[in-house]
Amino acid sequence: MIEFIEAALQRPNFIAFVVLFLWGLFIMNTHPNLVKKLIGMYIVQTSILLLIVTIGVKQEATVPILQGSDAVLSTADQMSPPNYTNPLPHVLTLTAIVVQVATLGVSLALVTALYRKYGSLDEDEILQKIE
Amino acid sequence: MSDHLPVILFLLPFATAICLPMVGARRSAWCRPMALTALLAMCVVAVINVWIVVEHGDTRYAFGGWPISTSLPDHPLGIEWVNDGLASAMLVVLSFLAWLCLFYSGPLTPRSLGAREVLYYALLLLLISGLTGIVLAGDIFNVFVFLEVAALSAYGLVGIPGGRALIVAFRYLILGTLGASFYLLGVVFFYASTGTLNMADLAQQMAAKPELMASKAVIGGTTFMLIGLGIKMALFPLHGWLPGAYTRAPDSISPLLASLMTKVALYGWVRIMFWVLGARAEIGQVHLLTLLSGLGSLAAVAGALLALRQQDVKRMFAYGGISHVGLILIGVSQGNQTGFAGSMFYLINDAVMQAGLFFIAGAAIHQYGARTVEDLSRLRRSPWMIGAIIVLAMSMIGIPPTGGFFGKWYIILGAIEAGNYLAVAAVVVATLLTMAYFQRVFVRIFDDTQESSTTDDADMHPALKLSMGLTAGAVIALGFWSDPIIRFFREVAATAGL
Repeated sequence: MIEFIEAALQRPNFIAFVVLFLWGLFIMNTHPNLVKKLIGMYIVQTSILLLIVTIGVKQEATVPILQGSDAVLSTADQMSPPNYTNPLPHVLTLTAIVVQVATLGVSLALVTALYRKYGSLDEDEILQKIE
Repeated sequence: MSDHLPVILFLLPFATAICLPMVGARRSAWCRPMALTALLAMCVVAVINVWIVVEHGDTRYAFGGWPISTSLPDHPLGIEWVNDGLASAMLVVLSFLAWLCLFYSGPLTPRSLGAREVLYYALLLLLISGLTGIVLAGDIFNVFVFLEVAALSAYGLVGIPGGRALIVAFRYLILGTLGASFYLLGVVFFYASTGTLNMADLAQQMAAKPELMASKAVIGGTTFMLIGLGIKMALFPLHGWLPGAYTRAPDSISPLLASLMTKVALYGWVRIMFWVLGARAEIGQVHLLTLLSGLGSLAAVAGALLALRQQDVKRMFAYGGISHVGLILIGVSQGNQTGFAGSMFYLINDAVMQAGLFFIAGAAIHQYGARTVEDLSRLRRSPWMIGAIIVLAMSMIGIPPTGGFFGKWYIILGAIEAGNYLAVAAVVVATLLTMAYFQRVFVRIFDDTQESSTTDDADMHPALKLSMGLTAGAVIALGFWSDPIIRFFREVAATAGL
């Protein structure tokens, strides 16, 4: 048990991910206000981005552009891969951010249309007005 | 040229969707013919594509020419699209149904759109290109992106009528995004434990290192992906968004959504389950296929039970679709070729049947204002609608010679072959319940004491008649050609290691 707690405490990013994910999920499913639901949705998506960035981190490594002593070497087998981070997780993050922004745009458009029609952002109130 | 067919298939709807707003800004009357032409071209290309795949075998498309070799110790660098038997067959179904749904929707296009009609067609084509992307993608992250492209267009399309459709679209958006987030989380887990996103490479690593499959990261990733795609395919306990969205969506859109959205998500899961995890994958100590068989049985029975209680016709058919997703999952999860081939055949049938049923529901509202089961008696004077609904109901229930019978038959045979009698019982119970809710429909239609409409369907738009007739004909044609199609899918199942 002690080892488990110790191991968990050494990975604050993962704890942050879990807390943010569950928090966002809770807001998204329980809050009656539509905009706050969207905030919860945004937190869920961002927490996943945090996880992707976290797994891409490498200590004492730099951007994957050949530099220093590697830069003057022309043959690929002589450079040292441990000096460079993997760029793919960051690219995935960028793509996921684009998707997230598009989703947020569509959802805000829907919320605006609902507000114009029913003059309220509260889900229960809107449902009452529809009945 | 023929190497580029998969990309051409994707670009046809996608490029048209981008061009439409530019052309349509001045000439909005051109939008519909342009969209129809693009989809017709897509049908032709899809047929050529399936012919090439059958003749010359699978092709893999490497974007930008980056190497996608998966022979160890190399790892693929580029993004890959896989154009194999299953994908090419799905593309034919997808393009033909997309064209038919667009053709049908002509007289039903919402009047309130006005000048925004341009954007409506652009969204529709984006939805179709997103679905094409999911079918072709050979990379789990690409599947995520295309899922969102398709889903975002669908949210917009569902919300078009305004009013109650808006709140339904919002709920669909919240749940759909949750599904996509869960799927992305699964992708991250897979990437963290294997360092690759390519499906073929993932499958190779899973096969080479059995301890990988038992690791917590892969088990967690699999679970998250199942939940994510489960929401997208409306697997029974996660189906909450579907009935409302399909009922409130404009009548011109709901056939397209009902026939393709959930089926393509289901296809995505089949890809991951057989082409990445392998048929023998386990979650913890539980065999993944056993779990899916249970979930499928639950969905098949519960969906049909819920359909029995509905008053609204569109809502009833939507629950019928949920039940059929369960049936397809039962067949897939028997772990033998018969079940797999049967359920892939049933998937095609179900896509056609759902499209046809929503065609009828939409036409009934348009022509006679019949929304609930009670109102259906007004349909009695319309031979096209009655004919189509009888054929489609026969297929939904599973009466020969329609395609639905052969699909269910092979699913049951597969379950018997696997000795899974619970699944057999679930299919039979779901069939009986399907019969029960169609019986309600027919009692209403043929009950003489009910008021009937005085007008027949002579003034019905020919597009509506033709699309209902075509779907009904397609179900019977699928029944007659079930044998070669099943054989084709058996070969596909063999490549999946069954």
